[in-house]
Amino acid sequence: MATSPGGWLRLRLLRVLTALPNFILLAVLLVVWQIISKIWLPSIDPYMAVLMPAPSTIVVTAAGMIASGELFYNLAASLKREAVAFLFAASAIPLGIAMGWWRLAYHQINPIMEILRPIPPLAWIPLSILWFGIGDEQNEFIIFLGIFFPILVNTIVGVKNIDPILVRAARSLGASERRLLARIVFVGALPQIITGIRIGLGVGWMALVAAELVGASSGLGFLINDARSMLRTDTIIVGMLTIGIVGLLIDTAILALGRRLLPWSPAMRR
Amino acid sequence: MGRLAVNGVSKIFGEPDDPDSVVALADVTFEVPDNQFCSILGHSGCGKTTLLNIAAGFERATSGALTVDGAPIDLPGWRNTMIFQEYALFPWMSVFDNIVFGLEMKDVPRKAREDITRHYITLVGLDGFEAKLPYQLSGGMRQRVAIARALAVQPSLLLMDEPFAALDAQNRAFMQDELVRIWQREPKTVLLVTHSIDEAIKLSDCIAVMTSRPGRIKEFVKVELPRPRDEDDRSYIELKRRLRDLIRDDFVSR
Repeated sequence: MATSPGGWLRLRLLRVLTALPNFILLAVLLVVWQIISKIWLPSIDPYMAVLMPAPSTIVVTAAGMIASGELFYNLAASLKREAVAFLFAASAIPLGIAMGWWRLAYHQINPIMEILRPIPPLAWIPLSILWFGIGDEQNEFIIFLGIFFPILVNTIVGVKNIDPILVRAARSLGASERRLLARIVFVGALPQIITGIRIGLGVGWMALVAAELVGASSGLGFLINDARSMLRTDTIIVGMLTIGIVGLLIDTAILALGRRLLPWSPAMRR
Repeated sequence: MGRLAVNGVSKIFGEPDDPDSVVALADVTFEVPDNQFCSILGHSGCGKTTLLNIAAGFERATSGALTVDGAPIDLPGWRNTMIFQEYALFPWMSVFDNIVFGLEMKDVPRKAREDITRHYITLVGLDGFEAKLPYQLSGGMRQRVAIARALAVQPSLLLMDEPFAALDAQNRAFMQDELVRIWQREPKTVLLVTHSIDEAIKLSDCIAVMTSRPGRIKEFVKVELPRPRDEDDRSYIELKRRLRDLIRDDFVSR
C-alpha cells in the first residue's frame, strides 16, 4: 500500500498514459474542425469562416484574453456571484434538516417548496429585475434559486435515510436532542448534502450564465453576449469553454473534498 | 449498583379493545439482583425484544413498570444503555471516537473521558485499533467496540439484543467467552436477549424462559454452574435438555 513519492508519480503517469486512447476521437475531431475552418469554409464563403473560428484561432484568442486579464476578470466576477449565492443557499441545509427531522416542519413547509421548486430560476429573471434592478444582487438571486433547491431536497433525503438504529444508539448513550442533531443527524446526512451541493452548484453555474446574459456588465455570461454584438465568435467560444471547464473543476473539487472529509461514506468511495 | 425489577409489565400493540391488537407481553414479572447476568430466552416473536426495548426506554409499557434500584425507567439514556445486534457504530467515528461519544454526552471532563476510553479499549482488546473506522473492522471487532462503548458510560443496567447473532459460529463462541471475561472483570447487571440455549447457559446467572402470544415468563431458571461453563458437563447437559423442553412445548402449542 505504502509507495514512495517516486512510485506514486510513476503510477500517476501510467494512469495518464493509459487514459490517452480515450482522447483519440477528440483529437480527430479537432483536426477535422481545423481543416474545415481554415481551408474548406474560407473557400466557400469568408463570412462562414468567421462564424466558425478554427481551434488554433481560439487558442490564440484565449492566450490574449488571459494575458490581458480580461478572462480572469470576468471569471472572477462570475465566481464571486456563485460564491455569494452559495452562502445564502447554504441556509437550505438547516432548513432541510428541520424538514427531514420534524414531521410538522415537513408538512408545513413542503407544500410551499413543492410549488416553488419546479419554477426554473430563469423564470424569476423578470420579477428579480424589478425587485433588485440590474446588477450583482439580481444575478445572485437567480443563482441562489438554482443552488438552493437541490441542496434542500438532498438534505431532506439524507436526514430521512439515516439508519434509525444509529439514532437509537446515540439516545441510548445519553445524547440530548440538540447533540443528536449536530453529531448524528447532520453528520449522517453529510454525504447526501455534499451530493446536493454538487448538483446545486452545477445548476447555479448554468443559471449564472443565463442571468449574466440579461443583467450584468461583467462575468462570463456578459463576456460571451458582449462578444456577440461585435461578431467575435472566437471570444464567445473561449467564454463557453471557460464556463464548461470551470463548471467541471468546481464539481471535481467538491467531490474530492467529499472523499477526503467523508472516507467512511460508501457514496463517496464509489 | 443496579437491581432490576420487572413488575407486571404488559405491552399491547394497538388499541386494547381492537380485535386486531396484539398482546406482546402479558404481566411479566421477575427480578435480577445487582451485578447478575440474566438472559431472556425464547423463540422469535415471543416479545423478548419488546421487553428489551421497554427496558431501553425506546418503547413504553402499556401497564406495569421496570425499575433499577427502585427508580423507574422511562427514557433512553446511559443508565440503561443497549448493545445492538447490528453493532450500530457511528460509521464516521473512529474506534476511539465511538467509545468516547457516550462520555461526551455525559459531560465527563476531557482528561477523564480519554482515560476511561483507553481503559475500555484495552479491556476489550482493541489496542492499536483506536484510529480505525468501523468499516475497516471485522464483525467481531465491531461488536467489541460496541461493548466498550456501552461499558464506558458505566450503565446501571446493560441491555443486549442478540449481540452475536450476526457473527459466524467460531466468532460467536469466542465473543461469548470474551463477554464473560469482560463481565467478570467489571460486573454489571445485564439483560441479554437470545434464542440460543447454549448462549443463555454459557453467559447467565439466571434465565427467564419466555413463551409467546402473549409473551409470558414460563419459568425463571437460576444457573449455578461454575464458570467457565463446560458444555460436556452433566449438569450443563441436563439444564440444556430442560430448557429445550420448556421451549419446545411452546413451539408445539403454537
